[in-house]
Amino acid sequence: MDLETISARLTDLQAAGLEAIAAASDPMELEAVQVAYLGRRGELKTLLGGIGGLPAEDRPRVGAIGNRVREALEAALQGRQVELEGAALDDRLAREAVDVTLPGRPFRRGSLHPLIETNREIARIFGQFGFVVYEGPEVETDVRNFQALNIPPDHPARDLWDTLYTDVPGHLLRTHTSPGQIHVMQQTAPPIRALLPGRCFRYEAVDASHGFEFFQVEGLMVDEGTTMADLRGLLDAFAHAMFGRARPTRFRPGYYPFTEPSVAFDVQCVVCDGAGCPSCKRTGWMTILGAGMVHPVVLRNGGLDPERYQGFAFGLGTDRIAILRYGINDIRMFLENDLRFLEQF
Amino acid sequence: MRVPLAWLRDYVDVDLEAEALADRLTLLGMEVQAVERRGSDWHRIVVGELLSVEPHPGSDHLLLTRVRIGDAEPLLTVLTGASNVAAGQRVPVAVPGAVLPGGRRIDVTRMVGIESQGMLCSGDELGLTTDADGILILPGDAPVGRRMAELFGDVILDVDVKPNRGDALSLLGLAREVAAATGGRIRWPEIVLDEQGTPTAEHLSVDVTDPRLCPRFVGRWVDGFVVGASPLHVQARLTAAGVRPVSNVVDASNYVMLELGKPTHTFDAAAIADGRIVVRPARAGERLETLDHVTRELTPETLVIADARGPVGLAGVMGGAQSEVGDATSAIVIESAVFDPVSIRRTARRFALQSEASLRFEKGQETRLARIGADRVAQLVVAWAGGRAAPGRVDTAPAEPAPVRLPFRPSRVTRLLGAPIEADEMRALLARVEVPTEAARPGDEVPIAVGAPGIRLDEEAARDALVAIVPTHRRDLEIEADVAEEVARIRGYDRIPGRLPETPMPVFRPDPRRAVDAVRDVLAGRGLNEVVTHALVGPADHARLGIPGDDAAIIRVTNPLSVEHSQLRRSLLPGLVRVLVENERQRRADIGCFEVGHVHDLVDGVPREEAMLGVLLAGDQGGAAWNQAARPADLWEARGLVESLCTRLGVAVREAAAPSSVAPYEHPGRTAVLRAADPAGNLLDLGRVFEPHPRYLEAAEARASHVAVALVSLDALQAALPRSQRYAPFPRVPAVERDLAVVVAESRPAGEVAGTIREAAAPLLRELRLFDVYHGAPLAQGERSLAFRLTLQAEGRTLTDEEIDAAVARIVEALGSRLGARIRS
Ligand SMILES: [Zn+2]
Repeated sequence: MDLETISARLTDLQAAGLEAIAAASDPMELEAVQVAYLGRRGELKTLLGGIGGLPAEDRPRVGAIGNRVREALEAALQGRQVELEGAALDDRLAREAVDVTLPGRPFRRGSLHPLIETNREIARIFGQFGFVVYEGPEVETDVRNFQALNIPPDHPARDLWDTLYTDVPGHLLRTHTSPGQIHVMQQTAPPIRALLPGRCFRYEAVDASHGFEFFQVEGLMVDEGTTMADLRGLLDAFAHAMFGRARPTRFRPGYYPFTEPSVAFDVQCVVCDGAGCPSCKRTGWMTILGAGMVHPVVLRNGGLDPERYQGFAFGLGTDRIAILRYGINDIRMFLENDLRFLEQF
Repeated sequence: MRVPLAWLRDYVDVDLEAEALADRLTLLGMEVQAVERRGSDWHRIVVGELLSVEPHPGSDHLLLTRVRIGDAEPLLTVLTGASNVAAGQRVPVAVPGAVLPGGRRIDVTRMVGIESQGMLCSGDELGLTTDADGILILPGDAPVGRRMAELFGDVILDVDVKPNRGDALSLLGLAREVAAATGGRIRWPEIVLDEQGTPTAEHLSVDVTDPRLCPRFVGRWVDGFVVGASPLHVQARLTAAGVRPVSNVVDASNYVMLELGKPTHTFDAAAIADGRIVVRPARAGERLETLDHVTRELTPETLVIADARGPVGLAGVMGGAQSEVGDATSAIVIESAVFDPVSIRRTARRFALQSEASLRFEKGQETRLARIGADRVAQLVVAWAGGRAAPGRVDTAPAEPAPVRLPFRPSRVTRLLGAPIEADEMRALLARVEVPTEAARPGDEVPIAVGAPGIRLDEEAARDALVAIVPTHRRDLEIEADVAEEVARIRGYDRIPGRLPETPMPVFRPDPRRAVDAVRDVLAGRGLNEVVTHALVGPADHARLGIPGDDAAIIRVTNPLSVEHSQLRRSLLPGLVRVLVENERQRRADIGCFEVGHVHDLVDGVPREEAMLGVLLAGDQGGAAWNQAARPADLWEARGLVESLCTRLGVAVREAAAPSSVAPYEHPGRTAVLRAADPAGNLLDLGRVFEPHPRYLEAAEARASHVAVALVSLDALQAALPRSQRYAPFPRVPAVERDLAVVVAESRPAGEVAGTIREAAAPLLRELRLFDVYHGAPLAQGERSLAFRLTLQAEGRTLTDEEIDAAVARIVEALGSRLGARIRS
């Protein structure tokens, strides 16, 4: 064979190789092509093995041509391999396609009870003003629930609390969280800023706005200089935090035997914005809590000197706040535990 | 208290619109709860004159009347079923097109062949009186054709008078408040008596055995009157105020109670033997038939009005039936007394007879009103029923107390209110409620709290102090703080400036609810719904738990609203099961809910409360869907939930064991006690997880077949909380895993096997996980294989194969020798 013949055959080989590479339709075929052309017994090796008969000066030239052919084939092989792998992956991904409109895996939606969460929100708001949480018992003594709060036995003000009594002598179900005032004063020295959330009980027929079990939060602040102006400022801050900055409030006289002066605190009706509606009995206002300056007798019963110490207490109806906060129209929903209700919180 | 404005105007000028007046009173502490307009629902009801009244030709019980309703109006023919009408009378006529209260329309109707052009109205139909049988006969000078609403319409304020202001439970008392709000003055009714005949003292004697129970008794005698109906305007006023008109004599007593706030009673004088009255405690065994015709057994705690023969009335609460004023009564004894408030309150409550009168007595009575009230009733009886008031009164305590001096320090008032108010302004404000002031004197004592010594004023302090001269009707003004309230009230609470406190902050206190809130957050995050159920449950709930009705540890309510809510719960379970049952009724069977609440019991006579967490899982817990199967609730679900919750709080559940005994509501084979260690290392019971006994679920009417419950003591959990959270360095050398399949008797608890492995492999064991449980061939009957994965690791170095093999050998040896176990390879 002469140089020309070999060169021509190398060129043919390259063309045929490239064609075979392009025709390979999967990695296996491609590998077979590689073995056939570039393998140890492949066509290129075989062809170049025959250059021993060429003149010595032609051999490097043939070698160079052979190298170009190898490089061309190798490059083509690699390109074709990337192509084929990409196609295979595309193919797999195409097969893996799903109906993305099928629903996601269901996770249960948990919920926290609106009453307890309202208590927590109240504690969070007053917490910003330094109020800390205490707890008192649900079964109270008549002494702490009434007598220590300046409500002696047979006092007409007892009619304000329809009481559930127990068969344990001297014990009743607390009608309000106010006995907590005594607990706190007896265990803590002023300055006091305390909150007492809890469940309360009354002898009360159940309707849309009353229940025999309900929740309250008691607040108590006592030191040497706490005034009624502080009470008003804090209650305003609370109302604004709970019902929005723009909601007007009203501070008016109330009556509790354990506060003097006593206060009723109203916010503008959240249903009608003050225009008057059945929810606010057409007054435009809703009373959200009772409050007042701690009565000197109560301070004394708490072990404090009423000439030195003064302060305020308030009692918030959690149910009432929650009703206004969430727009609930029936207090009975709270203890019915219907999942259709609970799942909204 | 219901306040008809037209009546109120007898005592004070009111220039304000009703709503504005209501606002002013509310801001003064006399909360107006409703404003009612009587007559606003009377449409086309006018005054008519009956020109003729004849029998209906076709009916025995209908009358045919011709009615004039105005000169320009045609005469009307109106039929009526009432029999009290006569020609010449003026009556309310609902003309065709009229609407009555309640929305009832009146049109032209035919009755037995004759057309009726409207209707004659009864007092009851208009809400003016309570007489529903007869037509309301109007005064002879009622202007024909005028709208009834113009003549008899009124505005009624419903005022919530607080218990400390018994003085304001009257029109005069509220007139005082109106005057304070408007700066006006009140007008007392003119009380003049034309006394005639034998003096009262010759008709009547009164003996009070215990003046503490009856500090004053004023009696009067009136005779020669005729019992009948009160004048229409009186009946209308009483009806508007919510008191039922009875007769002119009884109405006079009720009228005075509403007018002055002074309850009085009128006895038929003929029923009082010899005119001799004794006020005394009842004797054991005495009985009295009261006005409501109930015969009551009396006890010595009951104060009675008696004559020589026995009780004739319950003092301050209700009169006796025997001495009731009736049509035949021709002489009365007027009782106008002051009684001990506590005694009256107890009697009224004992007999469930709280009345307008007893409510006023309970709040305490002004002494002088006993005299004024007696005179006023006598005056009104004579005015409305005729007759003579006997001269003079019988009075057991004619001396009347003077106003009380109440020293106070304006500076202290200012300090309490946080509003700068000058002393002069305080004096002016107090003057508006008839409380004059004067300068204090050295030695005056400022009352701080009733029953405690006051602050004695020295010369310097007295210079800045004042004395309020409290009129006898203001029994609520007793201490310095009361004066502060009165000043703030009259000045207006709205004028107290709001500010944020500048006083020192309290010391830090950990939030006792932190752990509880963490528990709630974790469980809600796991998809559970928080519930709040009743703390009061019923005996049936406890009986289902196996707690008998007479169990000594149950705390019972002695005056329950219903049996279903008569006992304090000893477990959260009944409430949680009720949540399940109620939601099953709404076709919601897959439930995961929890409650945080107290359970109660009585320990050695002392109530004890424990904070508990209750979890109830029912039905599918995994969320069955198109791509996953359901995971029915079971013991493992509940246990895993509690364990993950504890781990989150840093508490490791050390032990889960079958309990030594199970409750009747627990599945005997599917109940576990969970135990954790407190920071000192003591094991404590956290609570129980269980599947409820099928019989329990059935009895509670729950339908679910897969239910699991956890009842965990939050007090125990709190005690197990780590005191602090510390980082523990973890070994950086590789860990080795070995799997062991342990074949043991089926009866051997897995917890025991795991415990044995833990003990034998310590201290190299980092983690032990049970990953498979296998029964069946090739294992023998009664055997099972428990497959554990052990993670072994040493601190600071890589374990050698020899060390690992030695550890495994130790484990295998321990399992074999202690539990008779072998290893399956
Ligand atoms: Zn409203």
